[in-house]
Amino acid sequence: MDRAQRDERDRILRDVVAITMLGIALGVVYNWRGLDGRPPWGLSWIAEDRGSGLAALDALDGASADPMALVDGASGGVPEIPALDRPVEAGLLQVKRLHDAGTALFVDAREADEYAAGHIAGAINLPFDRASADPELLAALDDAGGPIVTYCGGGACELSLNLAWELVHAGQPRVLVYLGGYPEWEAAGYPTAVGEPPPGATR
Amino acid sequence: MRGGDGSGGLRAWIVRCCQLVTGAIFALAALSKLGDLHSFAAEIHNFRIVPIATENLLAITLPWIELVAALALLLGIRARAGAVLASWLLVAFTVAVASAVARGLDFECGCFGTADGAHVGTRKLVENLAMTLFAVVGALRRR
Repeated sequence: MDRAQRDERDRILRDVVAITMLGIALGVVYNWRGLDGRPPWGLSWIAEDRGSGLAALDALDGASADPMALVDGASGGVPEIPALDRPVEAGLLQVKRLHDAGTALFVDAREADEYAAGHIAGAINLPFDRASADPELLAALDDAGGPIVTYCGGGACELSLNLAWELVHAGQPRVLVYLGGYPEWEAAGYPTAVGEPPPGATR
Repeated sequence: MRGGDGSGGLRAWIVRCCQLVTGAIFALAALSKLGDLHSFAAEIHNFRIVPIATENLLAITLPWIELVAALALLLGIRARAGAVLASWLLVAFTVAVASAVARGLDFECGCFGTADGAHVGTRKLVENLAMTLFAVVGALRRR
């Protein structure tokens, strides 16, 4: 490769970088406020979009003596969750009722080490990152016909929300997301467990 | 370095044609994505390749990079650089589609927006390889 060829190659690479930067600049300026008002970086548009698409069954929280009234079926206090095309947001009391009834599958969306350090008793571990990379895990989840409750670290944790939507898209009809997460559950003194997930973590 | 139009004869003509074809394809792809960025972002998510926090940014910028590259190719301004960028992008797209196929995913690829409704699959791979060939030829010296 002679000098002239090297110079030309360098010039082309510079032009490639210039074209790329110009494209990025145009895109960022044109969509300065992000996509549909959602910021272009940081929070994913999915998590924000998903939060607003939740069915809110806990609208009764604090307004009713029995927050499960809305989801209780006629079957003697065993919570019944309607089949929906979106996750259902559930509060602490509703989740506790489901836990007591023993019909729901609890899914911890956090990483394995966080799960091992403490989780809701009886919950299985399905880290969102792993589930997201392998959608078949979601469809294969054995919920024994009951609802699935996802949770993670509470607060700003979006893993449970994202996992809940993945489950809905995988065809699971009754998915609840417990946004309070493990910290709220633990603080309430409800049953917890520690330890590694059993081999074949999806039960 | 680069001769004027016609000085390279057949070779120059072929390279220029490949640049125009690649430019037209990229302009079409960019405009169809710009028409519905929200769907495009959803399709990026379907690939499950880039981190979730960057999906939005990619959806916003990628169509514009494609559009600028297309203009460079169509107008013949920095056309070789446009062709080099286009071939790199096409290689990246091909890898993305191939990995989606390998993982058994099936969804609209969003390659030309949602208008064509094409799903990822071997046909898309063949299309991508053909487009890559055009882009690579378009990146050649004209004589």
